[in-house]
Amino acid sequence: MNSKKILIVDDNADIRLGLHLRLKANQYDTFFAADAFAGVAEARKHRPDLIILDLGLPAGDGFTVMERLKQIPFLAVIPIIVISARDGLGNQKRAYEAGAKAFLQKPVNDAELLAVIRQALGEPAGTKSPTLYDQGSV
Amino acid sequence: MREKPLQVLLVEDNAGDVRLLREMFSKERRDAFELTHLLRMSEAETHLAKGGVDIVLLDLGLPDGHGLDTVRRAHAAAPEVPVIVLTGLDDEALAAEAMIAGAQDYLIKGQIENRALPRALRHAIERHRLQTETDLIRTNQMQFKDEFLSHVSHELRSPLTAVRQFVTILRDGLAGELNLEQRQYLDIVLRNVNQLQSMINDLFEVSGLQAGKLKIELQCTSISDAIIYTANTLQGSAAAKGIIFSSDIEPTLPSVCADPARLRQILIILVDNAIKFTPTHGTVKIQARIFEEDSDFLLLEIADSGCGIDPDMTEQIFERLFQASDPDSADRSGLGLGLYICKDLVTRQGGKLWAKSTPGLGSVFSVTFPIFSLPRLLAPGFTEERQTERPITLIVTEIGSQTGWLSNEVRAEQCRGIRDLLRGCLYSDLDVLLPKMDSAGPTELFFIVANTDGIGGASICTRIRKQLDSSERLQQAGLTHSASYRSLDAIKRNATESKEDFLERVTTGIQELMNEEISARQAKNE
Repeated sequence: MNSKKILIVDDNADIRLGLHLRLKANQYDTFFAADAFAGVAEARKHRPDLIILDLGLPAGDGFTVMERLKQIPFLAVIPIIVISARDGLGNQKRAYEAGAKAFLQKPVNDAELLAVIRQALGEPAGTKSPTLYDQGSV
Repeated sequence: MREKPLQVLLVEDNAGDVRLLREMFSKERRDAFELTHLLRMSEAETHLAKGGVDIVLLDLGLPDGHGLDTVRRAHAAAPEVPVIVLTGLDDEALAAEAMIAGAQDYLIKGQIENRALPRALRHAIERHRLQTETDLIRTNQMQFKDEFLSHVSHELRSPLTAVRQFVTILRDGLAGELNLEQRQYLDIVLRNVNQLQSMINDLFEVSGLQAGKLKIELQCTSISDAIIYTANTLQGSAAAKGIIFSSDIEPTLPSVCADPARLRQILIILVDNAIKFTPTHGTVKIQARIFEEDSDFLLLEIADSGCGIDPDMTEQIFERLFQASDPDSADRSGLGLGLYICKDLVTRQGGKLWAKSTPGLGSVFSVTFPIFSLPRLLAPGFTEERQTERPITLIVTEIGSQTGWLSNEVRAEQCRGIRDLLRGCLYSDLDVLLPKMDSAGPTELFFIVANTDGIGGASICTRIRKQLDSSERLQQAGLTHSASYRSLDAIKRNATESKEDFLERVTTGIQELMNEEISARQAKNE
């Protein structure tokens, strides 16, 4: 089976584990980084198909990660989904300008996250039946 | 008392008045005041801008400045320096206005009692200092409150994220099969997590409302869609309480001019509230129709059979942090921000929100929204002298994506910038960039109605292409664009036709062209 690889960059270990369990259940392979520096290093090492990126990180922040990845040609093309607890208005704009494919507000709705991942990976919607509870809560 | 002499700037062109004032100062201790005298407002402005002045004595009738204008100019040149105006005996009304314009005090020439001058100066300075300090404290407090709210809601979101993740992981059986009871309990946890989440969002929203950061993008919006969305979202919680939730929408309802996301948000808050305050087996009903009192508006009514509102309270409920006072009548699960946010959102979209109630029998919340009307948008271009025969061109700009698919996020993010660009491409003030119309499937369409013929249309298209080509933002986002135009044949106004009928006929023509453009794209998508 050819599973897509997803790198999770978040300084909160619980959230990393939670995302891992949810993504694993949807047949994705996951890798982790807990700070901005490790985020870039792990991306280099594993060359993931997609990166889920938190904005508030030690050793820089999500924007630093995006900036550094952009300078490395084979990493610049990886789609990035930003997930943040920060205020959406200004940060959302900044994230898109920095090249993010999507900006999701924490706490993230699983259905939305999986849909966004599928879109970013160019997988047709509905190829996998996602295991999830909430469908588009408000 | 301070050691340094007070720097007093006297701006006065009447030699007699200057002499009198100098005399008064000469009676004071020599090191208490230092007087600078200038004749003109322009000189005073330059002097004030240099700084070092403690207080200004200002005549309101200078050769190059008169009345309140001089006060405003002094204030603009040095906002931190208090001003006392000098007026004649018959000018007290003007002096009072000067106080409103920012002067600290006024002195009537010839009526200044012995030794009153230094006291007036010191009082004015002290009052000004206190006022500045209070303003500063208030600004700091507001800023602190906004930062605090923003910080708190941010910090609350992270742990809530983890709670939500793991509850849903358990609930979905990713960590093993659950029995019915376990599943029910997790549903309860999740319901409460959702409630907490919406409270945190309210906090964020309110700090945004106050900082004026809120984005509202008005467009042609279907009320029925918003009602159906609301019904789907809240049907479950109504059913859980045994409440009958129904909607009654006239089938031919016109669209409104509103932000669709905000419209849904408003309806959800109102219906959610209605469900919350209605006892088991009650009813909640949502109705929409043209507003009887003003046919330019659509009226939405959300009626419940709940506990009702005290008639004295029907306005207070929209205030910030208002909570239902009777704890038995409702589960108090909100922060008291919902209706406040709602009212603000409705007002910003040009509508009104109010409540009527019969205590014990239920309440009706009424919201109005301006009806979306193409003739009204185009009316400014139909001035009397230009209405007999006119060429009109519809310019269509299409924004798509290299991937063939445009996400809602990208749409929301890019549209505003594109609108600004397009607006810059118009030739005439009478050309109209229309608000967003119905969705055209995988792409985003922008329509311009221009008062020009085909040649003019072609040249606007060229401008648009040039502008969009040079937009880095579009390229970064991987967006594609195209611009085309379609001319309506010059439409003549019939001799017997009224201006309104003529406008209506032109609008219908434009609408038909737009519909063709939209359905062509929708067909391509299918």
